[in-house]
Amino acid sequence: MDTNVAIAPRAAGDTAEPLIRFHNVSHSFGSRQIIDNVDFSVGRSEFVCLIGPSGCGKTTLLRMVGGLLTPSMGEVTYAGHRVDGPESDVAFMFQDYSKALLPWRTASGNVSLALEAARVPRAERAPRIEALLAKVGLSRHADHYPAQLSGGMQQRLQIARCLAQDPAVLLMDEPFGALDAMTRQALQDEMLRLIETSATTALFVTHDLEEALYLGDRVIALYPNPGRVAQIFDVKLPRPRNQLTSREDPEFLRLRREIFDFIREGET
Amino acid sequence: MSPVVRLLWFGGSVAVTALLVLLWQLIATYSGIPPVFLPGPDRAWNALVAGIGTGELTRLTWATVERMLYGWVLASMLGIALGALIGSSRRAREYIGPTLELVRPVPVSAFMPIVMAFLGLSGRMVLVVIAIGSIWPVLLATVHGVSNVEPRLLEVSRSLRFSRFQTLWKFALPNAQTDILAGMRLGLTVALVLAVIGEMLASEAGLGYHILTTARSYRSDQLFAGVILLGLIGLASNLVLQAIEWRVLRWRRR
Ligand SMILES: Nc1ncnc2c1ncn2[C@@H]1O[C@H](COP(=O)(O)OP(=O)(O)OP(=O)(O)O)[C@@H](O)[C@H]1O
Ligand SMILES: [Mg+2]
Repeated sequence: MDTNVAIAPRAAGDTAEPLIRFHNVSHSFGSRQIIDNVDFSVGRSEFVCLIGPSGCGKTTLLRMVGGLLTPSMGEVTYAGHRVDGPESDVAFMFQDYSKALLPWRTASGNVSLALEAARVPRAERAPRIEALLAKVGLSRHADHYPAQLSGGMQQRLQIARCLAQDPAVLLMDEPFGALDAMTRQALQDEMLRLIETSATTALFVTHDLEEALYLGDRVIALYPNPGRVAQIFDVKLPRPRNQLTSREDPEFLRLRREIFDFIREGET
Repeated sequence: MSPVVRLLWFGGSVAVTALLVLLWQLIATYSGIPPVFLPGPDRAWNALVAGIGTGELTRLTWATVERMLYGWVLASMLGIALGALIGSSRRAREYIGPTLELVRPVPVSAFMPIVMAFLGLSGRMVLVVIAIGSIWPVLLATVHGVSNVEPRLLEVSRSLRFSRFQTLWKFALPNAQTDILAGMRLGLTVALVLAVIGEMLASEAGLGYHILTTARSYRSDQLFAGVILLGLIGLASNLVLQAIEWRVLRWRRR
């Protein structure tokens, strides 16, 4: 199948109307500068990956979009207005999924939380919870508590809770970082499928270069100390992506090489 | 614990109890202490059966249990409400915390004269004393549980735009469940002790007052029957609370 023709290219941040925008954002905790003059935008329905070494400020940038942190300089805008608190249609997927679930609620109860937040009437919740759990393959575990689920299942549960928000934007903080390779690939594909059917905008943090290339329309590489944008790479790989063919695509290999060299240069 | 180990433990504790009763019987029979002061388990048992037969001891037991429960429920409700209020606000914790630490170690007996001055030697006074004494473990446990929510969960709450009250209701109070139940269990023990002391002070009908009067009239077999009943109340209430914990905290089991 010639996917290059069949799939329309997704909107790139610079051409389409930007949904999320960092305007010369800098941030300091106390006297320590963490973020230095970050300026980029994410287009509607675009999938952007942030990549960089540990401690370079990836989580910090994501928290700004999520309205959990206000930058000390510059501003982040969402759909044209300044972000000054969490938005109802922006879902945040936390890095440490085991801490982000309510241990005293079952899988259903955890998904219900997002519906309660959206004031969905009680009677409508049950069928929606059922559908959401089915989407992430957890139907058989609806009555299980998080402690009874494996790491991969817990992360899928967090995905279900985020989807329950019916989000326009998904902010994901190294969501698959702590999972084994098999589970990780399965979840990557599941997530791409879910996002592509709903045209969700995604900002995805990772420090795995291949993951960033496999998922993203663009990859933004960051330098550390203080965190700043090093370079932005366009990933012109056809969608839907495929774990085998996409990763063997010459363009994939070329980009991997380019970014790898670029990062190594930055280190020396 | 495997069922076999559990059975062994249970058998062991039954054996220890039986041994103690036997020891009590031996001392009562052979030590030469007159039965007026130390009745054997046989006499105490007979007094217990006789007292239950006439309905007298049953009535007194219920009076004490009822007193204990009312005071404890009152203390638990107030303790949870106040604890939630204090625990969910950092400012409240900073202002009220030191006062709590100052008042907490003061024994309830120090409050009794104050309560008596207001309510006299009455059943209501006993109830208030029970409530004051057993509120502490619940209050402090609630403050602790409510103010120690996993920070990531508070971010989840913020991210979903829950109000402060919803955060308290959906995150902080459930998070405090374990602490609250432990505090309530402690509180129940305190409530039983204070129910007995309160009855003795205020001459209110119940096992406490029964023990006082039987001791004064040298009916020690009846006194011991009352003590046995108090022990059983403590045991039974603990078992009930354990069962409740087992149900409520089932999410902690794997
Ligand atoms: N609340 C805070 N107070 C002080 N310093 C902070 C705070 N949050 C983050 N930092 C610092 O900011 C820097 C960037 O943190 P951040 O969590 O954004 O990094 P990251 O790129 O997400 O790292 P990782 O890949 O390890 O998750 C780190 O050096 C961290 O110590
Ligand atoms: Mg991080």
